[in-house]
Amino acid sequence: MSAVIERHLDLTRHDVRSRRRRLGLVVSICFLFVGAVVVMAIFGPLLAPQDPQAQHLALVSADPSSAHWLGTDALGRDVFSRVIVGARTAFFGPLVIALGSFTLGNVLGLLAGYHGGRVDALIMRWVDLMWSIPTLLVVIVVAGAIGASYWWAVALLVILTVPFDTRVVRGATLEQVPRPYVEAAKTLGVPGRWIVVRHIWPNISSIAIANTFLVFASSLVALAGLSFLGLGVSPGTPDWGLMLSENETLLFANPIATIVPGVMIALTATAMNLVGDWLDESLAGRGATR
Amino acid sequence: MTDTAGNALEVVDLRIDRVREGRLEAIVSGVNLAVARGESVGIVGESGSGKSMTARAITGLLPRGLSASGEIRYRNRNLLDLTERAWRGVRGTEIGLILQDPFTMLNPVLRCASILGESLRTQRRLDRNARRAEVLRRLAEVGIHDPAAADRYPFQLSGGMRQRVGIAAALARDPEILIADEPSTALDVTTQRETLSLIKQIQATRGMGLVLITHDLRVAFAMCDRIYVLYAGTVVEVGKPAELDAEPLHPYTQGLLLSEPPLDHRVATMFSIPGAVPNPDAVTNRCPFVDRCQWATEICSNGPVSLSTIEGDRQSACVRLPAIRAELAAVRRQAVAGAAPRQPDRLTSRLIDVRAVSKEFVHSGRTTHRALDEVSLSVGENECVGLVGESGSGKTTLARLLVGLERASAGTITIDGVDATDWSALGRADLRKLRGSVQIIFQDPYSSLDPMRSIGWTIAEAITTRSRRARNVGQRVADLLSEVGLPQSYAELRPVALSGGMRQRVAIARALATEPRLLVCDEPVSALDVSVQAQILNLIRRLHVDRGLGYLFITHDLSIVRQVSDYLYVMHRGRVVESGPTEQVLDGPKDPYTVDLLKSVPRADQSWLTSSPPGHVASSGALTRKE
Repeated sequence: MSAVIERHLDLTRHDVRSRRRRLGLVVSICFLFVGAVVVMAIFGPLLAPQDPQAQHLALVSADPSSAHWLGTDALGRDVFSRVIVGARTAFFGPLVIALGSFTLGNVLGLLAGYHGGRVDALIMRWVDLMWSIPTLLVVIVVAGAIGASYWWAVALLVILTVPFDTRVVRGATLEQVPRPYVEAAKTLGVPGRWIVVRHIWPNISSIAIANTFLVFASSLVALAGLSFLGLGVSPGTPDWGLMLSENETLLFANPIATIVPGVMIALTATAMNLVGDWLDESLAGRGATR
Repeated sequence: MTDTAGNALEVVDLRIDRVREGRLEAIVSGVNLAVARGESVGIVGESGSGKSMTARAITGLLPRGLSASGEIRYRNRNLLDLTERAWRGVRGTEIGLILQDPFTMLNPVLRCASILGESLRTQRRLDRNARRAEVLRRLAEVGIHDPAAADRYPFQLSGGMRQRVGIAAALARDPEILIADEPSTALDVTTQRETLSLIKQIQATRGMGLVLITHDLRVAFAMCDRIYVLYAGTVVEVGKPAELDAEPLHPYTQGLLLSEPPLDHRVATMFSIPGAVPNPDAVTNRCPFVDRCQWATEICSNGPVSLSTIEGDRQSACVRLPAIRAELAAVRRQAVAGAAPRQPDRLTSRLIDVRAVSKEFVHSGRTTHRALDEVSLSVGENECVGLVGESGSGKTTLARLLVGLERASAGTITIDGVDATDWSALGRADLRKLRGSVQIIFQDPYSSLDPMRSIGWTIAEAITTRSRRARNVGQRVADLLSEVGLPQSYAELRPVALSGGMRQRVAIARALATEPRLLVCDEPVSALDVSVQAQILNLIRRLHVDRGLGYLFITHDLSIVRQVSDYLYVMHRGRVVESGPTEQVLDGPKDPYTVDLLKSVPRADQSWLTSSPPGHVASSGALTRKE
């Protein structure tokens, strides 16, 4: 079609973009929620009204009250304080996973997409191999062999998530490589690594960044699941996933104790996903990926 | 207004607006046009003129966010009032539409027979055999006589064949009026002529009305009985082709005519209209052409202009026409004045020497496609060499070989004394030498600049890549920008803020940053509007004179090659079929393919379309794709 329509589409896209850039109500709430979780993750022990480890054996499985806002668990620990302190493992693990797989995945994806040929074949066959391994099984086997540990689970999840990032970044890179601006840089003699870092990556960064938020959300859920199964944090640690499984038995005595950690997991994951989507949309106007 | 007798379709005071930031922005305003039965009407304009939107309004296919007002009268109805449901009875059945891009117009998962079958009239229920027979009859009407084509998928057909299937689909419900939106723009010249003469022939036999939308005045002249010249959303001139060709009565029409370089002789300087097409909404209150017109005075900016009848059927929107009419004609005479043919001096040292180079591409490990077949070619120091060929001729592959983006399968390439057959085997010093010898300008200026980087950054990168310790980079960027005719302040801008012509200038400035001795120009103007093409061509010619820069100019356009090259190679299906001094080749072609190519170049008279029997599939319209 003629350039008129293209120009028109560009302009409407611009409209959409500027509309999206103004925070919608939902996205604002998501940002506030994620912000609150970050504050709890950093300052948790200071914010918690009571010691999350202190046991009040006289007051087990108590209903919510003015002393214990969300009641107590089977060992009489304050559920509200444990939810606040539990944000730490819920946030930092996924953060490490997201950043780790972002870094490794981008490096591998750019290498594979830019160089192609043997480099691409080698990296992508490794990716295929990783995708064929059942994640949960690996974690269970490793936990069985060397004992369950939160940071081991995090490390494993980094390695298991890298292929996901690699594949997304490689796809986006493949799309950019044949474009004339890349070829122009090649004919000028710009070294390959500069082309990748200064030309290709900025143009695909919106995809890579948005993807990282999705990785964060999914690894939050994965880590919580592992804790729930007893393969993550050590017993006794305040952690949303572990609380979910520990307090399962209190479903009739103090249902809040198991519902609130579950809701926190779901809300944090959802908020991260929505923030990721919003970023994807508002960054999509940049670069050559549109 | 009432239906004038004989007018099948009448557009009255059409205005198309875009809603933007709560405000209406005009993209087309005050367009009047009429199509009689059996008449062909041309709408000519560049991108941004609103010609495609006018066509879309007539077929009820305006994109969302656009609204049309005015009247489109057809069979005593105003089509603008129709609901989408009512449109379905009109579109295809009463008004047919042919689109530009034959590559995306047909559903890729359906065979041609299914595409045509579903376009046939739904009222008559046909059994399978009858439907099949009808499909084959329709395909035969558009010149596809091989029944096997009906069972192929669109991607198995060449561009020309796809366009034929598209035409057959548009005609399937026997419309009374056919709207053709740039039906031949995406096709090769030889295919273009076949397609256009097919449309013309079918229109004549069926007695349909035809609205042809094109950017090419010569095509419109050959095809149409009446031409509307559109500029920035308004009609600036109306007239019969012969009259318009003889004496255009609007400075813009004249500029557009002169921007098409002549095929039969070389001109001293190519005519170009300065500046670029304005935003239609910005010029509703004045003559839209005022900023680019050499005759503009104050009265041109005072209030909106409208068409007024000059003589007979001719209308022009130029308010100063009586005063400048003689001057217009004088400028035209001067602009087409010929220049002496230039004799190439082939004895100069060879900067590029390509010997018996072949290039094969392997598809999915099995089939090989031979893009270049023992091509030999040379370009001397400070020489202007043209390379002409249609798509699939291998001309772009050759360009990519010359700058090291591909590697030859056989043969040798020597550039500036360095064996450049395999760039990956070269040392640092040789690579540096080659990059300082040859640079490339790509076809598409919209993707050849990094969208994330400013113009200044892009050019500075080229400078610092050439020499790490370059000093005064900012000053050199400014110098390069002014050398290609851009203000220095543009260094701050991102490519998105620039028009196509400006981007191509930036691409040239970037190539110049390495101080090359030769530019490989791969169709550098084919993505640009006609009125700015000449600006870039003149720039390249000026660099040749000022810097002693040689170039290899690759194009499909014989008229352009006539203007810019001294020596010419003609390529066809991976081979050089003819070469020689440009004038010699174009005035006395030896190879049958060159003869065919010359015949296919659009000419402003109807003999162009009828000089060979249409309706048969010629060499370029081969059944299967060439690639």
